[in-house]
Amino acid sequence: MGQIVAQETSRVSILQLWGHYAPHQIHQSQCAPDPRFGGRLGAQDLENEIDWLFGTALGGFVPPALGGQFPVDLYEDKDNTYVRAELPGVERDAISVEMVEGSLSIQASRKEKTADGESSVSFNRLVSIPDEVDAAKVTASYENGILTVSLPRREESKPKKINVSVN
Amino acid sequence: MSFFNSLIPTATGAVSRIEPEALPARRPSYEINESESGYTLAVNLPGVSKEGLEITDEGGELRIAGKRASRLPEKAVVLHRESSDAAFELVLEHDNTIDPSKTEAELKDGVLHLKLAKAESAKPRKIAVS
Repeated sequence: MGQIVAQETSRVSILQLWGHYAPHQIHQSQCAPDPRFGGRLGAQDLENEIDWLFGTALGGFVPPALGGQFPVDLYEDKDNTYVRAELPGVERDAISVEMVEGSLSIQASRKEKTADGESSVSFNRLVSIPDEVDAAKVTASYENGILTVSLPRREESKPKKINVSVN
Repeated sequence: MSFFNSLIPTATGAVSRIEPEALPARRPSYEINESESGYTLAVNLPGVSKEGLEITDEGGELRIAGKRASRLPEKAVVLHRESSDAAFELVLEHDNTIDPSKTEAELKDGVLHLKLAKAESAKPRKIAVS
């Protein structure tokens, strides 16, 4: 019979011999080596082991990354604040974005086919927006499984340039 | 330590910019289901476009590599960062029990759906007892 065997590429560990090794339990964020310590080879190996141990020991208690919520980025430029969320495999109709009292609420649901038919998984996240936002002008786009919400700042909350003459 | 970074992403300086090419590839989350004739594989690849995706099947090894197309704009000031620009890589061994010529792939909304057909030799065969 055919069998698909998962293979770890980024990490080979003697700890795998301990017998509790189950690749599907390790979330991506826990097995990716931290690049900021990349220069120190030994330290990186040790980190991987620690991450792996945490991933295994707490696997049942700590949901993968951030409490099962989807990852969110918050960034800004001159005129807008942006919220970007990773929501792979979600239909556009199943995403709802709302501004609620200075926070952005993102809700999404994904239908999943299971052995007994279809089940729906829903996600939601509330992101507090640091600046005054013009709620009427908020726009959102969804591409390649990534939702980007643009929140234009209100005119009065934009930084104003004041010229000071020095005598 | 990414476990701690995942708890306090900003406090540990995770907002600093690192070139995506310098980051080690991440293993995406995926799901495999088996049917009589083959397998279906769904891989979460948020931010990966068709152009950045590479699927190879060689020597009994299926390799899926995806580079992220969507990145934060250069001039933006990052206030909080939880996602990563690191590329995805998933390698699955199948011992040639899959017929690569019959593999079908579809990338939709950041999820790659692969249909893998079982090789004829791997299908169950009934043997009559004479």
